[in-house]
Amino acid sequence: MQDNDYRVVGKPVPRIDGKVKVTGTATFADDLFMPRMLHGKLLRSPYAHARIKNIDTRKAEKLPGVRAVITGKDFPGIVVGFMKQYADRPPIAFDKVRHYGEAVAAVAAEDEDTAEDALDLIEVTYEELPPVLSWEEALKEGAPLVHEHAKNNIGTTCQFEYGNVDEAFKTCDYVLEKKLATQRVAIGFIEPHAALAKVDGSGRVLFQGSKQSPYITWRHLAWGLGIPLDKIRIVNPYIGGAFSGKHEALDLDFCAVRLAQKTKRPVKIVVNQEDIIGTYRQRHEKHVWLKAGIKKDGTLVAMDCKYISDGGAYLSVAALNLYLFGLFNALPFRVPNVRYDATRVYTNLPVCGAVRGQSQVIAGYVFNAMIDMLAKDLGLDPLEVMRKNIVKQGETLPSGSKISSTGLEQAIEKVADIIGWKEKRANRVPNRGIGFACGAQISGCRMGGHFASSAIVKIGEDGTVQLIHGGTELGQGCDTVFAQMTAEILGVDFEDVQIEMEDSHDGILDSGMFGDRCTTWSGNAVIAAAEDVKSKLAEVAADMLEAKAEDLVFRDKKIFAKDTPDQAISFLRAVRNAYYGVGKSLYGSGSWSFPGAEIADFSQGYCEKFTPSFSFVAQAVEVEVDPETGKVTLLNSVAADDCGRPINPLLVEGQMDGGSAHMIGQALYEISLYNKKGVPLTGSMRTYKIPTALDVPKLTNYHVLVHDPLGPFGAKGAGETCTTAIMAAIRNAIEDAVGVRLVEPPFTPEKVFKALKAKKEGKK
Amino acid sequence: MKKYPSVRRLPKFEYVTPKTLKEAVDFLSKHDKAATPLAGGTDLLLNMKRRAVVPQYLVALKSIPDLDTIAYKEGQGLRIGALATIHAVETSPEVKHKYPILSQAASTLGSIQIRNLGTVVGNVCSALPSADMVPSLVALGAQVKIINGAGEKLVPVEDFITNVGKTVLAADELVEELQVPILPAHGGGTYIKYAQRGAKALGICNVATWIALDKDICTEVRICLGAVGQTPIRALQAESVLKGNAFTPETVKAAAQKASEEAQPRSSPLRGSAAYRKTTVGALTQRALLSSRAQIG
Repeated sequence: MQDNDYRVVGKPVPRIDGKVKVTGTATFADDLFMPRMLHGKLLRSPYAHARIKNIDTRKAEKLPGVRAVITGKDFPGIVVGFMKQYADRPPIAFDKVRHYGEAVAAVAAEDEDTAEDALDLIEVTYEELPPVLSWEEALKEGAPLVHEHAKNNIGTTCQFEYGNVDEAFKTCDYVLEKKLATQRVAIGFIEPHAALAKVDGSGRVLFQGSKQSPYITWRHLAWGLGIPLDKIRIVNPYIGGAFSGKHEALDLDFCAVRLAQKTKRPVKIVVNQEDIIGTYRQRHEKHVWLKAGIKKDGTLVAMDCKYISDGGAYLSVAALNLYLFGLFNALPFRVPNVRYDATRVYTNLPVCGAVRGQSQVIAGYVFNAMIDMLAKDLGLDPLEVMRKNIVKQGETLPSGSKISSTGLEQAIEKVADIIGWKEKRANRVPNRGIGFACGAQISGCRMGGHFASSAIVKIGEDGTVQLIHGGTELGQGCDTVFAQMTAEILGVDFEDVQIEMEDSHDGILDSGMFGDRCTTWSGNAVIAAAEDVKSKLAEVAADMLEAKAEDLVFRDKKIFAKDTPDQAISFLRAVRNAYYGVGKSLYGSGSWSFPGAEIADFSQGYCEKFTPSFSFVAQAVEVEVDPETGKVTLLNSVAADDCGRPINPLLVEGQMDGGSAHMIGQALYEISLYNKKGVPLTGSMRTYKIPTALDVPKLTNYHVLVHDPLGPFGAKGAGETCTTAIMAAIRNAIEDAVGVRLVEPPFTPEKVFKALKAKKEGKK
Repeated sequence: MKKYPSVRRLPKFEYVTPKTLKEAVDFLSKHDKAATPLAGGTDLLLNMKRRAVVPQYLVALKSIPDLDTIAYKEGQGLRIGALATIHAVETSPEVKHKYPILSQAASTLGSIQIRNLGTVVGNVCSALPSADMVPSLVALGAQVKIINGAGEKLVPVEDFITNVGKTVLAADELVEELQVPILPAHGGGTYIKYAQRGAKALGICNVATWIALDKDICTEVRICLGAVGQTPIRALQAESVLKGNAFTPETVKAAAQKASEEAQPRSSPLRGSAAYRKTTVGALTQRALLSSRAQIG
């Protein structure tokens, strides 16, 4: 099909959920209310590391209005995790607390005030233990152990080597060694964690929470509660952002169900933003010792990367996190010889799991920064070095994956042109500079459990279309995009397609919303389901048109044989004939998975069939540095992404704007800080600084149109790619502007000021 | 037994609605510390949720008429009533015309939502070192009008605040208004808030300067530093460098240097080291003075 043949796909149609959201009628988890519903609250640990000697709940239970109190003993001996081999986390603390704010008990009461009062009456006897609060302390001989089973506090590791790194370094003209580090950051979704659980008389659980990947939550709940999957039904309400902080079943999710089972009444638990910022999921603090070698002409030759990440008290998805950093060693750049040695360390800090862009964001930062420094040291143009080394279409990466499509070269071209790379570098303004960087991201991957995506499309007797898909609408816009795909295939209007809340009873839940997976995997499943129902309606229409079903075209709410477009019947007439004349219902279903998809061996690295495609982004940022205060002001940002064909360019732009703003936060403002006892110093929106609209510069976005062979309508993932380049672009721009080489974000005014001062004094 | 300090729902309290200031003051004096006046509530309610304060009575000033006045009178100056919101002061044509520094300072405070709720008097009474309205009020020589059972009194803003969160206001007293004096001609003032981000931020350091010139001679100068000490600090030594002397790049630089020395910031993991904050006080004082000068023409 030619581009201009598409009626709905590729068009910036307004969001399908726009009206309900802007009118305030979208139902989020905390909006839900059930008859006889109780309110739950969690009691949290005031210590980062302590043994629980005893929990006395008797006084709390006697408080009028309290209906149940539970502790770790209500989940006897259970540990859950991202996969069986990484299970280390009890639903709530059992014998020991491993980070400040970890839940140790939960209460269900008639109202929230009573539940809060009851928390005051629970007496927990702790034996305080020395906390381990940094990776350096954690790895020291004789350091206190966060988990008794994990010697030296090492949670998991990943090592591999491609090519011959030692030999390759000998052929380099220039080798640079640098230690870089990125900070622990929180996740800033607007809607706090919330869960509502109801248990019926047969023991069947209805769970409605603010969950990003209901499938993961579903499996965790069954595992953590010791009940079979079919006893849990998940209905997902609208979600107010997740950014990978809402995959796993969390303390409140387990406790809401357990309390509902105990009281035989619905229980809702909502967590304060103040608890979330400081004590729930965060991004790993990462330390990278990097050695990189390059030829005089700018060809990258070898990288040796040692990497330690501090991930807090439990592993979560750390194994995948390490693997992805290794896989993305230098992507989207080609480095034929790579050695990677990564360790994930336990500490008594809140748990680090995935955050939008996962490890690729940090890998993108580290390698783009390194390439920029290599180029500057050799007197080469960083952009030219980047351009020279980007991976090409059809290329197989050292890690086994193949680049099925890429528009990165055109993206680089476009961004360099629009930002004025050449002109501005030739006509420099003091204290101003431009930084360039390129990023890449997978389009989903296979993890444990089921991994195909699936969809059901129904055509109702009135000609409207109901779509059920396994993906989760988190705000990223997948419902809109899938409605567009469905409308395109059935030749109906976008407005004719309806989507309801995700329900594990109606649809097969997707394996999760991670790694830019949804558009590609669920999108292909939606296409398959739409084609399936279309073929059923085509049979009915073929009889009416006296044509062959395979010759029929569905377009503009009409159906006709391809050679006789003037003899069309209306879509609705065919549908009515199916229901009222023939006696046939119109259901279609479809599923898709990346053919041959493998689960990567997270500790070894090599995997040929890891992801169906890679998407790319090129980004430039212009900054101005105030030499008297060190303050960095972002003047302008230009990005061009290759997400294959954007199904909805408006939504992709929204993702790009959001992704840029998100990582501007990590580049300039955000850091999660803890005191010597492991208590958060930045545990509220007041102290934890995410950027405001005033801090985000003008963002100009472009799309490079590429057709990916495996993508739905040629599309690839878009929501995370846009996060992978901007941090390095900002860093590189600061060096370009004032000649200081900073490598540890956030680049606060004081850090920049000190570097400027050191530079000045060094010159004297 | 150590407890996790969660942010909780509001504690139970009684909401009292006096009709006059006198009624309010009588109620406060009868109940001493058990009663707290409520204006915008942006600090108070959060402190109650944190259980930092648990008043038995909230005395709502909103039920008293005309407390939201913003009025300028020739020969008297500006009066800002206890309920005048920060947004109202920010957008008042009179304030913009006669005291642009106050409007400018108001525009830097919190977010539009907070400015719509919070009051200027509340910002002064909360007495936080980083309070955005205070340095400008001090630079303008504003006074606080206090009402109590015995009558009323005027206290300069700089004497009103005594420590972090502390003022001279007794439990049975109320602030009725702020009074800002008439300013001499040939004057100009600037507030610079230096924070980590563009909005919803507490300053790393804040500087307000107000100067008046007679030709090139600096006849009046007031410099107030915010967020770099337990209270807003009048930079008196910096002022004395300029007062009665020519306003030149050299004297401005020397004054800025003095201001930097007079600042008393703490090192904070969130807002930077003391040394850095002192340095920025110097840079910002210089900028504020030059910007004040530019307004005089």
